Amino acid sequence: MTLRLPDQRLDHWRDRLPDLLNRYSQPIVDLDCGDWMLNCSDLADLCAAVTEAGHQLGRITSRVPETIVSASALGLDASRSNTPSNTEDRPNPAVTGPSDLLFHHGTLRSGDHLQSDRSILLFGDVNPGARISSTADVLVWGRLRGVAHAGCEGSTTAKIVALQLRPLQLRIADVVARGPDDLPQVGLAEQAQLKDGVIAIEPAVIQSLQKR
Amino acid sequence: MSTTRTILICSGKGGVGKTTTTANLGIALARQGAKTVVLDADFGLRNLDLLLGLENRIVYTAQEVLAETCRLEQALVKHKQEPNLALLPAGNPRMLEWLKPKDMQAIVALLERQFDYVLIDCPAGIEDGFKNAAAAAREAVVITTPEVAAVRDADRVIGLLNTKGVQPVQLVLNRVRPKMMSNQEMLSVDDVTDILALPLLGLVFEDEQVIVSTNRGEPLTLSDSSSPAAQAYGNIAQRLQGEDIPLMDPSQARRGLRARMRKLMQTRIF
Repeated sequence: MTLRLPDQRLDHWRDRLPDLLNRYSQPIVDLDCGDWMLNCSDLADLCAAVTEAGHQLGRITSRVPETIVSASALGLDASRSNTPSNTEDRPNPAVTGPSDLLFHHGTLRSGDHLQSDRSILLFGDVNPGARISSTADVLVWGRLRGVAHAGCEGSTTAKIVALQLRPLQLRIADVVARGPDDLPQVGLAEQAQLKDGVIAIEPAVIQSLQKR
Repeated sequence: MSTTRTILICSGKGGVGKTTTTANLGIALARQGAKTVVLDADFGLRNLDLLLGLENRIVYTAQEVLAETCRLEQALVKHKQEPNLALLPAGNPRMLEWLKPKDMQAIVALLERQFDYVLIDCPAGIEDGFKNAAAAAREAVVITTPEVAAVRDADRVIGLLNTKGVQPVQLVLNRVRPKMMSNQEMLSVDDVTDILALPLLGLVFEDEQVIVSTNRGEPLTLSDSSSPAAQAYGNIAQRLQGEDIPLMDPSQARRGLRARMRKLMQTRIF
């Protein structure tokens, strides 16, 4: 049986954990961390609490990649959980919280490769020779002159937006395109999307206007 | 806390003028009264001694200093004409493996006790040689030429320097050909600074005198040469010392050169 940490919106795990462990009978505790984003020191505290209660920590499962990474870094057996998220059935799924977006401040220079399994918002340039890739959208508040890959795990609806779109190469899902040879218009944000299986570049769309 | 400025001179790509710049800057700083040492971290392909004309005076290297088989004073090679400048080869070309980042830090710590400027001539590439050289540097000057490959490599190096916390990083644009630039056959100054986004410490024009002086082992800045490269290196040294010297303008350079030629002709005639 797996021990589940409380729902983020109801209780903090630190308050509830001793109580939960007291009621837990087996010596080895398999822990489902749910939506909690735990860093290494959180996890160390968690381990200490488990040992203090006379148990031993077994597997850790989580829906948050950061938690899995931290747990692996501590040498714990960690994997992604497949229990449904409590937060997924929220009334307004269109609202994407900050956890769906990776924000990066700074220019990516030649040889750098920024990767994420969230959408990326880059505040800076992507220089020639640098790469940026995301399983979702790539948004560049600056000049995109390197290689960008949106939807790198196959999402064909992913898009690439940049204030100045002048890439060496664009990739969306498994479609690859060379960047345009001619200079882009100055001061015009552009976006690249898949249209009929090819990558098309057009002026960036303001989403709030589009919905009306 | 010492006020010594330890400056890494690097480029990523080879052949853009790291060693030439190190030699000329070293001489120029020394002539301006700063006690300067140039440290040749590119000891696998050691050239800095050649450019300074000190090849036959090297007895010991930093390797022996750290092994305590000689004193630092014995390993430092003082320049013949410019006593403010000294050269220290980091190691023996046949023993490439010995140097580690902590060794480099130890050498530089020794040098910082007695010099105002420590210029480190970095090897090309971004492998161990670069990492060693960068380990001890506080600030850096990145040399590039107006070529796509050199700019790309410089960009990579700047990224690596940023992750190592080397600050500030400044840019020298070397081997500029004003004529090609004005004909737009070469990347312009703006093209380069646009990508690298670094403060420009200086522009050095392509100059045949550099080749002559390199082969002779007498850096251009050693004499009061009026060659454009010599002036450019002098200006860079002054800017490093905090003086506000305007940058050379490539579009004005040809007119300037021609005017200077005319002046030269006139002096010869009279």
